[in-house]
Amino acid sequence: MLNILKLFGQSPFAPLQSHMDQVSECVVLLRNLFDALLQQNFDEVQKLSEQISKMEHAADLIKNNIRNHLPKRLFLSIDRSALLEMLSLQDSIADTAEDIGVLATIKHLEFHPSFEKDFHPFLEKNIETLQRVRNIIHEIDELIESSFGGIEAEKVRTMVDEVAYLEHQGDIIQRRLIKNFFNDENPMSYSTFHLWQRIFEAISAIGNLSEKLAFRVRMTLEL
Amino acid sequence: MDSATLLLVLTLVVGLYVAWNIGANDVSNAMGTSVGSGAVSLRQAIIIAAILEFCGAFFFGSHVSDTIQKGIVNPDLFIQDPMIFVYGMISSLIAAGIWLQLATYFGWPVSTTHSIVGAVVGFGAAIGGIEAVYWNKVFHIIMSWIISPLMGGAIAFFIFTILRKKIFYSSNPLHAAQTLMPLLVFVLITTLTMALLTKGLKNLYLELSFFQTLTLSALVGLFGGLIIKFIIRNIQPSHAPTMERSFIDDKTITALEKAKKHLQRAQAFAQGDLSFKVSLALEEVESISQDALQTAKAASRTSEYRAVEKIFGYLQIITACFMAFAHGANDVANAIGPLSASIAVLKTGIISVKTTAPTWILALGGGGIILGLATWGWRVIETIGRKITELTPSRGFAAEFGATTTVVIASALGLPISTTHTLVGAVFGVGMARGIGTLNLVTIRDIISSWLFTLPAGACIAIIVFHLLRLIFS
Repeated sequence: MLNILKLFGQSPFAPLQSHMDQVSECVVLLRNLFDALLQQNFDEVQKLSEQISKMEHAADLIKNNIRNHLPKRLFLSIDRSALLEMLSLQDSIADTAEDIGVLATIKHLEFHPSFEKDFHPFLEKNIETLQRVRNIIHEIDELIESSFGGIEAEKVRTMVDEVAYLEHQGDIIQRRLIKNFFNDENPMSYSTFHLWQRIFEAISAIGNLSEKLAFRVRMTLEL
Repeated sequence: MDSATLLLVLTLVVGLYVAWNIGANDVSNAMGTSVGSGAVSLRQAIIIAAILEFCGAFFFGSHVSDTIQKGIVNPDLFIQDPMIFVYGMISSLIAAGIWLQLATYFGWPVSTTHSIVGAVVGFGAAIGGIEAVYWNKVFHIIMSWIISPLMGGAIAFFIFTILRKKIFYSSNPLHAAQTLMPLLVFVLITTLTMALLTKGLKNLYLELSFFQTLTLSALVGLFGGLIIKFIIRNIQPSHAPTMERSFIDDKTITALEKAKKHLQRAQAFAQGDLSFKVSLALEEVESISQDALQTAKAASRTSEYRAVEKIFGYLQIITACFMAFAHGANDVANAIGPLSASIAVLKTGIISVKTTAPTWILALGGGGIILGLATWGWRVIETIGRKITELTPSRGFAAEFGATTTVVIASALGLPISTTHTLVGAVFGVGMARGIGTLNLVTIRDIISSWLFTLPAGACIAIIVFHLLRLIFS
């Protein structure tokens, strides 16, 4: 009389994808935040920063929910450690976005002509990297259907390569940005300099983490 | 009413109760997977189960019944006092019924088969002494309980690995499925018909040589394969756009290709600064067209997998039918075995060595199963079907093929096994081949603990009931 329902466990893949969506929303808000900063609308910057924090907290709740429902007795089609690592990387991305939001509100920052031109492409490239990785996470449904192999896996592998390329392009823009930033004649106050430096590092961290996440998915494939 | 008639009625009632239980609970585990994957609707599942469980019980059920009624306990040792044998068989039935009732109340995962076997062994050893039990046979039965989930799992793993490599990993899954499917159906139907015919024909009083059986099975298989080929020939992937990805028109792709060609021509004729600008534009257009192609391929691939699953739906219907048949054959013996043994003794007053279950008793067992299915079983099937969504038709087919083959072979060998445990083993086999997202390992622990608890529990209750019966009726 063994009820066969007990055989199937609660799948963590759907919550993983909704966590990724939540993380993605955090990061996309950075666009609006820096637009507001460009217009020197510091109230708006503060508001957006708080909104990002709230969203990061919502993502944390989803993350904890997944971790609470992943007992050792669950037999998954991918490694448990792989799943947990993906979750951890996604969480780091959300944390980084929150950090950027907080950094932007510490002082009334101003854009400097030395990096003003390169900043927007730099931010956009990293956000694009993240959105590509979000698409990869959403491919997990199809990957399960095709048993992590075949043309579906080839397609995901191409997507991962694209993410790596985007991250590389982001690195190139970052190098240019940093060069102009450090070699600038007109000085700015030390605290402003330091804050902008931290912001640049955090934005490039988003790209790096996205690439790591993409490769973590790559490692689950049967290729 | 004299005590013999009373006993007879009691026997029939309890036998019917056990059969009812099989229909109400066990069948749902077998058919629920097909309903969950969407291969059959609830109504179709009930009709299939009702017809085929009865056929399986009626035409094929006697072999396992033989084992339970006289394969486990040696009836000769009771020749002095045949009524003890009768009390024993009846108390086995009652013990199984009580144990099942308790298990339902407390939600324990208990197998009907294990309860009956435990009860019969317990009665035999306690009352008739150690020599009364054919320990060799009991050992074989216990081995079969351990081997059947493993074998179901191994076959399911093997089948799903083939499906994975040949269909899901191929560059054109739909075409691969359409090519491979008739062959699979042929093998499927031939093996199962073969297993059924080798032992089942005795009931129909037909005698065929091995070669004739093989040819007949192959013909039936060929017939089935051709039918499937015809049915799935015209399945096309639907071109419905998915919500997330943007719908890329074929026209867009051809237009981009044309733009590329024009730019290449321009590049050949341009010079200097213009040539440089044209080559930049060409690179841009190439990357856009690449992107568009990927997206278009992606959209078509999703619907291709869906079409593949639709094909497997037909295959799963076939396996569901065989599953219902095999389950009826194997499990009806739980109710019928002790029943026919005691009825034979009650009617003739002696224990004869060669009684096979009379046809009307097999029909009674089959009828009880249908009754259980119709009154309670359909609701359990519905619940299971609604909650299982991970078992898509391809996975369901692989698991059911593994389980059904194992159950049919066990029925042919006369071994009473648990269909549910075999199905669980088969599903795990598919999970091992990375076919299913998440599985709960607790079920393995449940299965093993049910092996350990049900035998002694069934035995103890049977002994108690036996003494009660002897007290009441002697």
